[in-house]
Amino acid sequence: MIQVRNLIVEYPDGTKAVDSVGFSVGPGENVALIGANGAGKSSLVLALVGVLLPAQGEIHVGETVLHKKSLREIRSRVGLVFQNPDDQLFMPNIFEDVAFGPRSFGCDEEETTQRVRAALSKLGIEHLAERSPLKLSGGEKRLAAIATVLAMDPDYLLFDEPTAFLDPRARRNLIDILGELPQGKLIATHDLAFAGEMCSRVLLLERGEIVADAGIELLRDGVALERVGL
Amino acid sequence: MPDISARVRELRSLENLAAGQTVIHRLHPLAKLLSAFVFIVFVVSFGRYEFVGLVPYLFYPFVLMAMADLPYKVLLTRVLVAVPFCLFAGVSNVFFDTGAAFAVGGVAVSLGMLSLATILLKMYLTVMAALLLVATTPFTELTAQLRRLFVPVIFVMVFEMTFRYIGVLFEEVYSMMTAYRLRSGTGKALDMRHMGSFVGQLLLRGFDRAERVHGAMCCRGYSLKHSPPARHRFRGADVLALATVCLPVVGLRIVGVLL
Repeated sequence: MIQVRNLIVEYPDGTKAVDSVGFSVGPGENVALIGANGAGKSSLVLALVGVLLPAQGEIHVGETVLHKKSLREIRSRVGLVFQNPDDQLFMPNIFEDVAFGPRSFGCDEEETTQRVRAALSKLGIEHLAERSPLKLSGGEKRLAAIATVLAMDPDYLLFDEPTAFLDPRARRNLIDILGELPQGKLIATHDLAFAGEMCSRVLLLERGEIVADAGIELLRDGVALERVGL
Repeated sequence: MPDISARVRELRSLENLAAGQTVIHRLHPLAKLLSAFVFIVFVVSFGRYEFVGLVPYLFYPFVLMAMADLPYKVLLTRVLVAVPFCLFAGVSNVFFDTGAAFAVGGVAVSLGMLSLATILLKMYLTVMAALLLVATTPFTELTAQLRRLFVPVIFVMVFEMTFRYIGVLFEEVYSMMTAYRLRSGTGKALDMRHMGSFVGQLLLRGFDRAERVHGAMCCRGYSLKHSPPARHRFRGADVLALATVCLPVVGLRIVGVLL
């Protein structure tokens, strides 16, 4: 289980991006993190894998507490899919990109190849293995970015605006694929329909604070949503 | 605009070549790194008038290119990039070092011309050796070997980041130039009046983007302290390849000194 307690994340100028946040995500649970632009969704997600280090508070993944020395273990168990796949795909071809994680975490070549093939096959993109990221469509890039994380065999997946840059067909495809992944997921999005289809629980974020933690019926509460700018 | 995107593709084309499966590609990266290093050191050790002594060293790029099945044109265009720098360094010799070296068919060749030719040949051999190394070895394996050779991590990191981010920077230039040209009215190159803010914005966007890419790398286990495990074992064939390069390279130098 991912457990977050009293988390505060600050920008260098001291502004609080995330303020006294606490929640948990259980194994296999799909949780939506919704909020308007600038609400702190991306900062919170980045803090969960230590890209932004907390100013205060604790993040637990299972028994492991996130701090500088445990970053490697945390990142092997929690995979983050970035909002812009171009940030995540930096190798000459997709195979090498998907292999980057397993190799960095010490897998030998045989296991790396096995994991890459499995991840690409799970997402139905084996045919992209030798292609350059520069030549892929938005939907293909998104799936390739997810494959880079799946190859690390994480227990939890974090998504930052996964439906950004996708056309309706690619979005539909993404919903089908994510629905079949067994990992626990925290999905930061302001695509409410997507959150409604994917998740069983919703965290509502406003100016860095969680103002509601409820079931998906929250997505039908027009007043609460409008109040936070959604 | 197509110019910039072509440059991005060109930049990555050497990396694509490194994915080949020839006998050279399959050699241990350390064997290739050491043989390139030995080759470059010995080429550089030649004096400025020792043009003739360097000529036999042409075997290295030509044999390697043939065995690795690499396109000569792609590599040559990259070597040409270094020519202006060498000309700049060596052209003054032609005017100041006017002593006669030898004559060919009654035409005297000056020492300055000889030294310019030596500089150009040295440049060709050393740049080609470096390009061949990059075109036959995946970049991550090269940097992993540098770490194993105890090259300070800060140098390896700068090397890795430059290689990764230069493409990212080009992409930013491409998108900014596209937006600029669509609104500039003329559709031509960047106006000098806008150069300051363009470059400033590029710097800020470059930092921002580099930070995100670095974050994505870290999330997938990239760290200065941990090298990925070796992908190849150092075999007899690697020792043989290393010896096949180093022995002639060293031998030719010794012969050159003795003569």
